[in-house]
Amino acid sequence: MPIDFYYIPGSAPCRSVLLTAKAVGVELNLKLTNLMAGDHLKPDFLKLNPQHTIPTLDDNGFVLWESRAIMGYLVQQYGKDDSLYPKEPKKRALVDARLYFDIGTLYQRFAEYYYPVIFAGASFDPDKLAKLEEAYFFLDKFLEGQSWIAGDSLTIADLAIAASVSTADIVGFDISKYPNVTKWFAKAKTAIPGYDELNYSGCVQFKKMFDNLTAGK
Amino acid sequence: MCTSLPMELYYFPPSPPCRAVMLLARAIDAKLELRHVDLMAGEHLAVDFVKLNPQHTIPTFVEGDLILCESRAILGYLVDRHAEDDSLYPQEPKRRARVNARLYFDAGTLHQRLYDYMVPVVFRGQKPSEEQWKKVEEAFGFLDKFLEDDEWVAGDSITIADYSIVVTTSNGEAFGLDLGKFPHVSRWYNKAKESMQDYEELNQAGANQLGNLFRARVAEAENSV
Repeated sequence: MPIDFYYIPGSAPCRSVLLTAKAVGVELNLKLTNLMAGDHLKPDFLKLNPQHTIPTLDDNGFVLWESRAIMGYLVQQYGKDDSLYPKEPKKRALVDARLYFDIGTLYQRFAEYYYPVIFAGASFDPDKLAKLEEAYFFLDKFLEGQSWIAGDSLTIADLAIAASVSTADIVGFDISKYPNVTKWFAKAKTAIPGYDELNYSGCVQFKKMFDNLTAGK
Repeated sequence: MCTSLPMELYYFPPSPPCRAVMLLARAIDAKLELRHVDLMAGEHLAVDFVKLNPQHTIPTFVEGDLILCESRAILGYLVDRHAEDDSLYPQEPKRRARVNARLYFDAGTLHQRLYDYMVPVVFRGQKPSEEQWKKVEEAFGFLDKFLEDDEWVAGDSITIADYSIVVTTSNGEAFGLDLGKFPHVSRWYNKAKESMQDYEELNQAGANQLGNLFRARVAEAENSV
């Protein structure tokens, strides 16, 4: 039975799940969910996920949302080994810590700076930019002396943060000020399976939406 | 064989994520060596602490060469590494995924929205935002839905997600949330409080402190206009 995946390509959390599925080698039955058209507020979707967020996964009746929880699930349930999400408690804890850094700080501050401009016609707030820059400074510090986000090998924390960083990059946030981030990002783009097809193409869609909604400002 | 290294926790009592770690550590009888970091006095910006955790957040947990930040990652680690069994953070993939989903819901939605409501009042002298409060209530509405068919926030037994979310709920209450509007949350919250060892000391005292600070700032903002 197929695993249904409700998503939209422009969304960074949706893309990080697509990258995980590709890396694990699990097929997803893609269900495009157009937020702009209100697909997520239709009764059938609300029955599935009362919080009406995407991504949402339906693995034969096991319904799960929150992208980072879905990523961990796919590796644990379908991965051939645990390299993307190590079982060993210390290693796993460091992956989890970076995933929480992403949801609570890196992606959060990106959304706080850009979303009011994109979706509510606001102008850019320099205080929020300073917070976003600080988040990238922290990320740069975390990467000092290590190859990947949570240590010496590629994990789902790299996939989540690659989705966040690429989305900020494509709408013009200057990551070149962060040398460790820049180096890691260049390497991640070539090391992550299906990066161009699954992530970059979605970034381009996000950029198109950004341009359309902020045109003339 | 010596397997137990000292575990240090850098914390500040009113800090919600610190309280969640304290509650959970008590539940699994993990002995933490507490290192007080007074955020109001800027102790988290001291050179040594920034060296330990460049993001200078608390809680920060140290055990041997492991330096771990992010409270919810610490909760998971404590159970994976130090609990007698996995009941508070099940290893089975589907059960674990549900716990993680609720922890991320707390981090990204429930706690986040309350935090966004509190910060402008407590740290910037602004009046509370009604618009932001509606978002807080919407988030507790989602939690109420989640608890409609489940006894605990991630299923039929208590997990670390309950420890994280009970703290957020106590903060909501301290900022004036009417739990009467959320019957399932209310039922779960009462049971959770009773189930957690030393709840009053480890969580309620800090929630009260935060609530008092919040109300004092609201009064100041109102008087200054």
